[in-house]
Amino acid sequence: MSSFSCLSAAARTMKAAVLIQRWYRQYAARMEMRRRYTWNIFQSMEYADLQDQIKLYNFLGYLMDNFTPSSSERNLISHIFRENEVCRDAEWERYFSYTNIDVPDIYSGPRLTFPLDMDQAADLVEAFKNKQQLHSRYVLQLLLETWKLLRVLPNINRVSTCHSKEITICGDLHGQLEDLLLIFYKNGMPSLEKPYVFNGDYVDRGKDSMEILLILFAFLLVFPGDVYLNRGNHEDHIINLRYGFTKEVLNKYKLHGKRILKLLQKIFSWLPLVTVIDQRVLIVHGGISDTTDLALIARVDRHRYVSSLRPPKKKTPSRTNVYADSERYVEMIICKNRGGSLTFPKPFDARESFQRRSLQDFSSTVARTLEEEFEVRRRQAEFSLSSFSKSHRILSSALSSDSEPESSEFTDTGNDEWKQILDLLWSDPMSHKGCIPNEVRGGGCYWGPDVTEDFLNRHSLQLIIRSHECKQDGYEFCHNRKVLTIFSASNYYEVGSNRGAFIRLGPDLVPYFVQYQATRMTRGLSFPQNVKRTEHTALKVLREQLFVHKSDLLSAFQEIDKENTGLICLNDWASAIERVLHLDLPWRVLHPQLVSSTTDGKLDYHGWFRDLALKKPSSEHIEQTMLETLYRHRSTLETIFRIVDTDNSGLITFEDFRQTLKLLSAYLKMEISDEVINELVISTDTNNDGSIDIDEFMEAFRLVDKSRLERGKSLLKLMQDNQSLPQETETPRTVYSTAPQTSQCPASQPADPPASNTADSACSQTANPPVSQTADSPGSQTEDLCHISVVVPPQ
Amino acid sequence: MAPKKIEPKKPEPKKPEPKKEEAPAPAPVPETPKEPELDLKSILLEFTADQIEEFKDAFTLFDETPTGEMKISYAQCGDVLRALGHNPTNADVLTVLGKPKAEDMNTKYLDFETFLPMLQHISRAKNQGTFEDFVEGLRVFDKEGNGTVMGAELRHVLATLGEKMTEDEVDRLMAGQEDANGCINYTSFIKHILSG
Repeated sequence: MSSFSCLSAAARTMKAAVLIQRWYRQYAARMEMRRRYTWNIFQSMEYADLQDQIKLYNFLGYLMDNFTPSSSERNLISHIFRENEVCRDAEWERYFSYTNIDVPDIYSGPRLTFPLDMDQAADLVEAFKNKQQLHSRYVLQLLLETWKLLRVLPNINRVSTCHSKEITICGDLHGQLEDLLLIFYKNGMPSLEKPYVFNGDYVDRGKDSMEILLILFAFLLVFPGDVYLNRGNHEDHIINLRYGFTKEVLNKYKLHGKRILKLLQKIFSWLPLVTVIDQRVLIVHGGISDTTDLALIARVDRHRYVSSLRPPKKKTPSRTNVYADSERYVEMIICKNRGGSLTFPKPFDARESFQRRSLQDFSSTVARTLEEEFEVRRRQAEFSLSSFSKSHRILSSALSSDSEPESSEFTDTGNDEWKQILDLLWSDPMSHKGCIPNEVRGGGCYWGPDVTEDFLNRHSLQLIIRSHECKQDGYEFCHNRKVLTIFSASNYYEVGSNRGAFIRLGPDLVPYFVQYQATRMTRGLSFPQNVKRTEHTALKVLREQLFVHKSDLLSAFQEIDKENTGLICLNDWASAIERVLHLDLPWRVLHPQLVSSTTDGKLDYHGWFRDLALKKPSSEHIEQTMLETLYRHRSTLETIFRIVDTDNSGLITFEDFRQTLKLLSAYLKMEISDEVINELVISTDTNNDGSIDIDEFMEAFRLVDKSRLERGKSLLKLMQDNQSLPQETETPRTVYSTAPQTSQCPASQPADPPASNTADSACSQTANPPVSQTADSPGSQTEDLCHISVVVPPQ
Repeated sequence: MAPKKIEPKKPEPKKPEPKKEEAPAPAPVPETPKEPELDLKSILLEFTADQIEEFKDAFTLFDETPTGEMKISYAQCGDVLRALGHNPTNADVLTVLGKPKAEDMNTKYLDFETFLPMLQHISRAKNQGTFEDFVEGLRVFDKEGNGTVMGAELRHVLATLGEKMTEDEVDRLMAGQEDANGCINYTSFIKHILSG
């Protein structure tokens, strides 16, 4: 107390100032550290999540290897490997016909008339802003028109800046409609004067993927010369099964969803692959590899590459040809990524042993008719599980010389093209030189700065703009500013986790960035509050991961604690966790958040596990390891279920369910007895009709994607917490309509834009006073809402 | 989608650290003859192995080198020291860094081995400022003695005196703290700073 009293007033003030400043700086540094490890956690979770995908592939590969002729399993397996129907376009048009769909009078959404015009496109945006849903008749119609248009577009969009001032480039949107609306608000909607390039990943994860697609396609139809769409790796129907888009469509369009999905499948395959601006700037979703060749890209039949999980079908498949060529395809599968499977060494052996088996061995183990054999091999061919540059090099040397030249050439080209496309859509830049297979994603490459340099020189380009990776500030340069990542989905991992951004590119081709963060729910939250909430979610997800690996962790701890004291020191705790989870996280920094107490620097790990336990009332009778396993493989499980659910009804038969679990358990070398399966089923088969509701099953065991669930919950909680602020008590739509004005920097006070006024008239409670209130206290809004327009100086 | 990259990052920090490039012992500045020379090499490290591992984790969090070389810039040094729970002033940080020039702050880097003695030195500093001092500091601005301070005055002082804060920093500090009259209740303000 006395340290101040003996000082003069001026000195006291000075001393006080310094004190507060140093405390502030410590606080800021701690915030920064938390922000960083929270980010690391999310990235690690995503990495772990991607590993799930690889597990899925491995499982499917295992199924192929271990095909047994029992009739029930055959049905199941053929469900899984179901072939796409091959029809001509005219047949497809009939299948997708919408003319018989009636639109009831009570439907209050947009009624589209074709050809579309600018006003209808704007109305569509407005309708979606107001949470309306477009009627399936118009959806099909719009999609059909889009399909027709896409079919005449080239693989490489060529854009020029000479006719316009600036081109706007957006990255991943992932179903986050608020971000697209924010972009349009800030930047204006697409038009003749305002061309846009959208760089893929429009769907999955977010909940409004359909609406985003409809908006983008509408503008594409209205301004075909000024809207350019690139394909992303999520424009892929199999990926959609896993990441939520399929589910969204089926939920929103119960009657016609299946046809809509089919049409989208075709549309995705017809999306152009890259865009080039002024022959100087390349825009592509993922990136490049050391073999990327734009001349080749220009020539491919891009629509043959429907999914990255299925190599191209042959153009004219005659029975014998395909049979012969499937041998080649089988060899293609041989070269699976060697390092891919991180957590399943055992099943991986199965793959390796398959590689060593000759085709003769394989065909002799199972007595089948020629037709069945042919079918099986075609299935196998379609499940070439990944494509790496290594594997393709090996493949070309493995091709035998006595093959039919025609077909082997075709395979060569087909294969080569496929790899080119995968590289474009899946690759990521790395800081080291060279080009290596992208084993984290299971497709594409990691490419280094030397590859960039070489590529740019070869094609006389100066910049690569790509997306595909979430960046905290919405954008990031690398490779000596020759590669630019742009990511437009803000709050991607969690509310407050990152900004989104878009690029404006003028004739000087200098990128100008605009960052934003959709803040409907977070207005009024300060930056530290944001950090705390994001951290909270990240830690919850992390704790879950720890819990579901309990058995492995316990073994690891017990290995260290040989005397069975039940105690372990923090350092050992941290190293053990890292060994088991492979998440590369700073566990020692995190430990205060994950461990409630230690005695003498030692942790009572049994007690710790008890603290971590997730309470699942419906599953208490299920054994721990089983629970952990199911939880760990939940995404694989769910995806398989959805594949098996051939009519997309959301239900699978009890028999199929049981077969799937049995196959999974065999694959994991885990015993799942019939009684356990029965128990699982009974607790979820609420309608007792022998069918399982997939969503219910996943939910019953809390097997849903926790992080998404948490995000939803935290959004809800934020809404509730902010009840006291007048504008927050409005329904979301009205809250949104006031949001645009808050997107200004405090320096420039906004005038209410006309757009939000028209929305206001629909919901009259959002009078202007709330709007001006928030404008008055810019301090608390700054962090969340400020648009930072950054002009990047030329290199 | 942003995966964790499997780049050969991890092996690097485990390799033996290269010889320190920076010679941290500065020549004493003539204007302040009282300040002793800080010879980092002579500092005895008293941390336990466990503690060092923890510091390494934190250090790595701030490593922004593209290839994960376990280095931080001079400008980040203060942040890492503070993130580890210490309370140096900017002047303290510059001292341990060897009074670098302004342009060095963003261009020069230090590795973990060099950082440790700095951390040790800072952790021994006696006048870190206690919580009570902090409260006292705020009370200085409580003109009416009623537990509140004027936000505007605080902003002004923090931005113009002592180790000046930028407008951005002040905004972050005061975010959501001022009431409708622009006053800050400093008990909750302190909780806000400390609980963060």
